[in-house]
Parts: sequence; structure tokens; C-alpha cells
Amino acid sequence: MEKVIMGNHAVSYGAKLARAQVIAAYPITPQTQIVEMLSEFCADGLLDAKFIKVESEHSAMAACIGASSAGARAFTATSGHGLALMHEMLHWATGARLPIVMANVNRAMGPGWSIWTEQTDSLSQRDTGWLQFYCESNQEVLDTVIQAFKIAERVLLPTMLVLDAFFLSHTEEPVDIPDQKLVDRYLPSYHARYKLDPDDPHAFGALVTPPHYMELRYKIQKAMEEAVEVARQADEEFRGIFGRSYGLVEKYRLEDAEVVLVTSATITSTARVIVDELREEGHKVGLLKVRLFRPFPVEDVREALADAGKVAVIDRNISFGHGGIFAEEIKSALYNGRYRPPLFSFIIGLGGRDVTPASIRGIAEYTFEHDAPETEIVWREVKSQVTSRKRPAT
Amino acid sequence: MTEEIVFRTEADMPYLPMTIGTTLVNKTGSWRYIRPLYVDKTPPCNHNCPAGEDIVGYLALIKEGRYKEAWELIKQENPFPGVCGRVCPHPCESECNREELGGAMAIHTLERFLADYAASQRLSVQVSQRYDARVAVIGSGPAGLSCAYHLTRRGYAVTVFEALPVAGGMMRAGIPEYRLPREVLDHEIADIEALGVEIKTGMRLGDNLRMSDLDDYDAVFIAVGLQKSDKLNIPGEDAEGVIPGLEFLKRMNLGEEVRVGPRVAVIGGGNTAIDAARSTLRLGSEVTILYRRSRAEMPAIAEEIEEALAEGVEIHYLMAPVELLTENGRIKSMRCVKMELGAPDESGRRRPMPIAGSEYTIEVDTVISALGQEADFSFLEAGGRRLEVERGRIVTDEAGLTTREGAFAGGDVATPFGTVTHAVGSGKRAALAIDKYLRGEELSGFPPIAEAVHAVPKDIDPAVVRFEDLNLAYFDEIERTRQPQVPIEERVSGFEEVNLGFSEEEAQAEAERCFSCGTCNLCDTCFTFCPDVAIARLVAPPPLSPPHLGGMKGGVPLARLNGAGYEVNYDYCKGCGVCAEECPRYAISIEEEMKWKK
Repeated sequence: MEKVIMGNHAVSYGAKLARAQVIAAYPITPQTQIVEMLSEFCADGLLDAKFIKVESEHSAMAACIGASSAGARAFTATSGHGLALMHEMLHWATGARLPIVMANVNRAMGPGWSIWTEQTDSLSQRDTGWLQFYCESNQEVLDTVIQAFKIAERVLLPTMLVLDAFFLSHTEEPVDIPDQKLVDRYLPSYHARYKLDPDDPHAFGALVTPPHYMELRYKIQKAMEEAVEVARQADEEFRGIFGRSYGLVEKYRLEDAEVVLVTSATITSTARVIVDELREEGHKVGLLKVRLFRPFPVEDVREALADAGKVAVIDRNISFGHGGIFAEEIKSALYNGRYRPPLFSFIIGLGGRDVTPASIRGIAEYTFEHDAPETEIVWREVKSQVTSRKRPAT
Repeated sequence: MTEEIVFRTEADMPYLPMTIGTTLVNKTGSWRYIRPLYVDKTPPCNHNCPAGEDIVGYLALIKEGRYKEAWELIKQENPFPGVCGRVCPHPCESECNREELGGAMAIHTLERFLADYAASQRLSVQVSQRYDARVAVIGSGPAGLSCAYHLTRRGYAVTVFEALPVAGGMMRAGIPEYRLPREVLDHEIADIEALGVEIKTGMRLGDNLRMSDLDDYDAVFIAVGLQKSDKLNIPGEDAEGVIPGLEFLKRMNLGEEVRVGPRVAVIGGGNTAIDAARSTLRLGSEVTILYRRSRAEMPAIAEEIEEALAEGVEIHYLMAPVELLTENGRIKSMRCVKMELGAPDESGRRRPMPIAGSEYTIEVDTVISALGQEADFSFLEAGGRRLEVERGRIVTDEAGLTTREGAFAGGDVATPFGTVTHAVGSGKRAALAIDKYLRGEELSGFPPIAEAVHAVPKDIDPAVVRFEDLNLAYFDEIERTRQPQVPIEERVSGFEEVNLGFSEEEAQAEAERCFSCGTCNLCDTCFTFCPDVAIARLVAPPPLSPPHLGGMKGGVPLARLNGAGYEVNYDYCKGCGVCAEECPRYAISIEEEMKWKK
């Protein structure tokens, strides 16, 4: 059934189709509509789940951890500061190996206070051990919720799917809402191997002394490594049933590309249009969309960029003191590979500033024009002397 | 399994941090720097009860349907639950923390419920030991009989001397039947007599009984009360038709003939005034109360004032009589003056001042004066060794000992409280003091009488539990249960009891509202919440295993003994404080570890 819905409601439908059993959440713009609709589903008896209102995001994740520890399929959603408040509990979910799924609507961190999109909130949680998917469309959002549970429950790691504030969260698109029976076929019910069970009592999350702690971390990393292939299989299996898939990365018109734009999330759609335009104009430009950020699909990225002349990574985020986070990840993926093309790190669109077709075209042109970036970070569209004033005539 | 498990390879380990055996090897108690302790605090009702009743204790027993034990718990402190459950101004209720969530507990009515239950079951108190010492008690009012009761239970032989032909003092002579039916009083006095207390009526000290007659006794308790009504001190007071309030009530209550005219004025604002007014109403008169202050200063029990108004008594505030006008030596009318309130006087109440030129006259046939009462010390002349009297009361120390060797005094003649329940407490205090005296012990350990009339300190934390000490997450607002009453039209035509008491269902519903302030009632909250499973139940809660709770130890239900309900395993308690924080009723304290070292 096709419906025109906003990205937030695509998340809600995804969680409903995945038959989440416990939903604990705290409202925060621009996420609130996700859990609002889920609470309505629960109230109307359309979703047989326990909806827990909590007093903070920290508690929301704690409640999901409790539910998941008891063997329930747990879901939550948050954004920006809410995600930051969950930080401690994100580590806990990973360490306890709980397949919780969460949607995060990217929102810039304050102050300056902002509700608009930027990826720094979720990318700041890079090292918590959560899988992260960055979505481009409302359809991808819905489908990724369903895939996320499948992958998380296989590798026993929590999984986050990420969507842009407003560009997706509040923008309506036609979305195919899959048939529940098909989803049930794809995603059978969850059976936890270990859970809180009075008939088989164990204490979870207790003290682990130095003789054993490191081995537990080792196992988490092994699970993350396994997750790359699990995610690929889950996506392929999804295509088998629903006729759609997204890949871990998406390669678009990469053949003999002199410049490869690397994007994530909604900027990808705009870039795709510009790639088509530039190709028509005769420029050899391609696009690599990174959908899976954690675990980072190192081999996929190396393979996709094996023939790239130059790489232009577009980041709507920044790791202060270093640079664009996707750019850094790609650099590090390429470092031990066979081929290390020149890599340009563009930062643009922070705090929800529009990234227009002209913006993307400008980035492509800059990359064509330079053999190497003039600076480690190439800032775009900053109101500075360099970019807003014309250069004085020499 | 208390051994530490060491894995040799990561493959042997579970993928998540979970216990395989137990965590007992890890004695987390060593992390603790504070420790929880089960320490019962003082509930405000218990703290405020002049008779020293364990109210929270008997409300808990009511909840469990253990009415006999609940009644016995009162009887440990007070021989008159039936009387006090009817006439006490219930200071317990005025401090009750329940007030904030649906109204104070109806403790008063629950006490009466237990007394009525006991009467219906013909329950009585038993005594075992006997000593040779003899004690004389002068006055069979609530103080005298309470003292006699407690001394007899301690094993002493007690003789009570009463001036009137019947026992009971003001409970009988002062309180009308519609508030306190005679069979209730008779039953509780009979219960005291059944213990072996001898009551000799018609023996008036200073008349046919002299202080020297008491020399045969090892100790004496004087509780003769206040007999004389204060005078109006206005012209015409000696006219026919003017009756002192106490005299009126005594004659009426003892079945003597009392004549009142069709228009009665009662002067005063205390309980005597209200009792006199409501009684004359029942005799068919129109009644007006004149009180020289306003409603706020009126010392009578608030409910009694309400009842009087509801029944048709008129109350004129800020009025005082200045002269009684007579015709042929009989009262005909009364000249009154309007008053206004000035600066506070020594009682803390605002002093009434006459308004010049506001005088007026009302027609009356009977005037009942109920301004207050004082002691009749005429018996003092008869005694050889003088008792010291100051400001109208016998001088005693905190233990109740007078200036005369072996003579103690209590009740209204020695203390300033003026209620039955305070008198009961005063009598009990004297009994404890006389017991010590007869054993040759120091008469110490009695708190100042102004703070706590009732007794010696109890063996629990004296901190009184405040509303903010409770964990309100556990308590809903529930309306106070109200006892039914006889309809007004029916009650003013006779002296039938007005209040009808609780049914068992009502008593249950009301007892359920009790917060059990500061008193562990085995609710299992600490047990449930302890994150370290370091709290163990020592006694199964009542529904699971009632026989374990059957006993009483020193008058306290086992469930309430410190530490008897739950035990903290300090090997594992980390001192997180969740139990104390979560405890709905502030029955758990937190104490710093190694406090003794500091």
C-alpha cells in the first residue's frame, strides 16, 4: 500500500511493521511525531506494544535496555541533545549486547540553539558500538527500520538509523508500506538467547574485572566485523521479498569518474541530480553514497574508489580539531589500501543550511579545478572574507 | 558457588557480562559508607495522644482484622477507649499527616469502634502479679481511675475514694448521655473494678474522709478535679434561675431534678457551655450561648460547636452579660454588652473589651454560667501536712509528687489540660511514678509535663514524622470516612447517643487510609527495591503466613519490632539508600558507617 507520509511517520510504520514490543521515548523536536504516532498505534490497538513514557532520554534508553534484557523487541527514537543525554546508556546497550533499534533525527547541537539538521549528534556516538545507517529517502527510512532489527538481532548489537531533520523528518513522500505478512516472513519474532528469566536466573551487567573485560570488548568488535556481511545479506534478502535494496554503499555512475563525490543522507539526492547534469555536460563525475557508517564498510569503499581520479567528500558535520567525519573515515579506510586518490574534505550545510544543486556543482567544479585541496578542510559557503568577498584584482 | 571463575579462552566466555554461578564471591558491602537501619520514628498521632496510645499500632491491627489485640493495645495505655473514643478532642487527628490527602484519619471513631467491639465481645483485661503495698486514690474521675487501673495492673492493691454516690467523676457528672451513654462508662469502670480495684463512693475528702485517714496507705494519688464553677461576678448572680454549669450538668447527669425555663442563656464558650446548651435544648428550651470572644477563640471541641449549631442552639459571639435583672428574686432578663477584641492576653487569645454604649437587654428565664471551673481546696484544712497550692492547682514535680511525702496529684487539680484523655495520661504517669516510689527508685525519666503529659519516653526514635518525610508516590487521596449520626430532629427530643460509630466495613476502609508514619508495616517495598537483593524477610507478611505474626512482644506487634520484619545483609548492602528513599513511611534511617570512630 502506497501512502504519502513524512519521514517521521515512515519510522513509525517501520517500527509497527517490525512489531516492536516495548517503546520508551521522550519527546524532542524534530523526532516527536515518530513516537506520537507509535503511541497512537498502541492506544488504538494496532500495535501490541508497551509504550513507556519516561522523564528523559537517558531513561528512555534505560527502559529499552530493561525491556531488551527481558527479551523484548525494543525501539526508541530521539534527536540531537536527546541522543547526547543517552550517551552512557548507548554504551550499556552495546556492552549488554542488546539488539535495540533507535531512529535518530539528525539535529544540530546547541548552543547556538538549533533544531535543524546536522550529523554531528549521531556521529559523536561513533564509538559507542551502535550500528549506524544514514538514510536518503522516506522509503529507505521505513525499510531500514525493518532491516535494522534483523541485523541487530543477528549480531546482538544495537542499531541506529539516522534521518535528516525536516528534509526527511517533516517532508512527505510517497512510501510503499509493505504487507505485514511479508515483513513477518522477513523478520521473525525475536528470541533472546540470554534474558532476565526467573526460571534461569543470572545477573546481567555486573562487575567484570581486568582478567575478563578485554575479551568482552574483543567479542563486540568481532560482532561489528561480522555485521558488515550480515547487513549485506539482510539487504539482499530484503530485495528478494520486497523488490528494493540499498546496499551498504551505493555506487552511482562511477565508471571512469575523474571526480567522485562522496555523500550521505539527503545531500545524496541533490548530488545525484548534479552528477547527471555534469555527465550530460561531458564531465566525468560519479557519486558514492555511504549508507552504513558503523561498522564502516572499508572494503566496499576501497573497491568503489579504486578507479576514482579525485574524491570529494561532502560532510554536513565536523569533528572539531580535525575535520569532516566521513572524510576522515574514508581517508583512514584508504590508507592501508592499494590506491590512495587525492581526497578533498568539504564542509557545508551545518545547522541545517540548505545544500543546493549550485552548492554541489561548486564542490564538483572546485575538485575538477584543483589537483589537491588547498587546505585540509575546504569550507563551503561560510560568510567569511575569503568566500563572501570578491578577490581584489591583482 | 562462591569461588571466582576464571576463563582460559574468550570462546569459553558468554558474549555479555552475566553471571554463570552466583555473585556471592563479591562482597560488595565493603563499598558502603552509609548503612540503612530499620528505625521506627514517632508518628504524629502517637506523639500527640495525651494518653500515650500506640495509635499506629492499633490501626495496623484493625487493618488485619485483629480487633481484640488492637483493643488490648489501647488498654495497655488507657482503660477508657469507649469514653475517649467519644469525648476526646482527639489531638491525634489534628496532627495527622493524612490531613493533606483526604482528611485526617478518623482515629477517634476507630478507637470507639474497638471499644464497642470489646464490649460486644465481653473482653476484659487480666492481672497476674500482686504486691502488698496499698495505694489510696482520691477521686474516681479519669485521672484517678487511670492511676488505679495502671497500679492494679502492676500488682498493687488500690482503693479509690469518691465523694459522689457513683464513680466516674466528670465523665459521669459532667458529660451528657447523648455524648457518652452510661453503659459505655459503666462497662469500662466495671472492667477496672474486675481487676480488683476497690471503689468507695460517698467518701468526701475533708468531710467523712480525712488526710490522716490516708496515712495507712503506702502512697496516695489525689485527683479530685475541679468542682466549683467560676462566678460571673455581676449583679443579680444569686437570683433564682441562675445555675452554675457544672451544677446543672451534675444534677441532670445524676438524674436529679433540674428545672429550666423556656428561654435559656448559657454564658461561656467551653465544653461545659456547649454540653449545657445542648442538654437544655433536649429539655425543650430555646437556648442562646453568649460568648465574649469570637468563634476562633472558642475553646470547646469544634465538632461539638458544629453539632450545637446544627441542632438549633444560637451562639452570640462578642457578647457579655453585665447585669442580671430580677423580679421577685427570680431572673427575668439580662443586660448585655457587645465586645470587641483587643491585644492578646496571657493566654495568647485576644482580650475582649466592652464597646461603650452598646448595652442591650434580653429576656431570659434561666441563666447557666459556664465560664470555667476551679478546685475546691476545702479539704486542705483538714490535713496535718499541707499540700502546696499555686495558681489554683496542687504543686507537683514532673513525676506528679506533691510537697507531701508519698502524696501524688494529677488530673485537672494538678495539670492545666482539662480533657478526659489528658487526665487518663496524667493518672498513668502518676501510676508509673508511684510504682517507682514504692520500689524506692529515683523518680526520674519523666519528660516535662507541658510537653508530654502521657508518660515516660517510648523506646523509639522521638523524631516526629512530617508529611514531607513520607514517599507520596505510594499514597492516593482518599476521603475520610464519616460515622453516621442520628438525624437532628430525632436527637434533640431525647438523650440518645448522637454518633453511631463505624461498622466493621467502615472501620476497615478508614484504617486502610493510615500511612503508618515512621512505622514499618511489612509492606515489602524495601525488599522489592533493593538492587543488591541484600534485604531478607524475617517474618512472612500476614497474608502468606498469619501464625508468625500472632504474638505480641511487650505490647508491640512483632511486625513492628525494630529489625524483626526485614534484615539487611551488610555483606552485600552497598549503602545505595534506595530502600530508605523508597520506604513509603520513613521507617528506614541512613547512618554513616564507622560513626563511632568519629
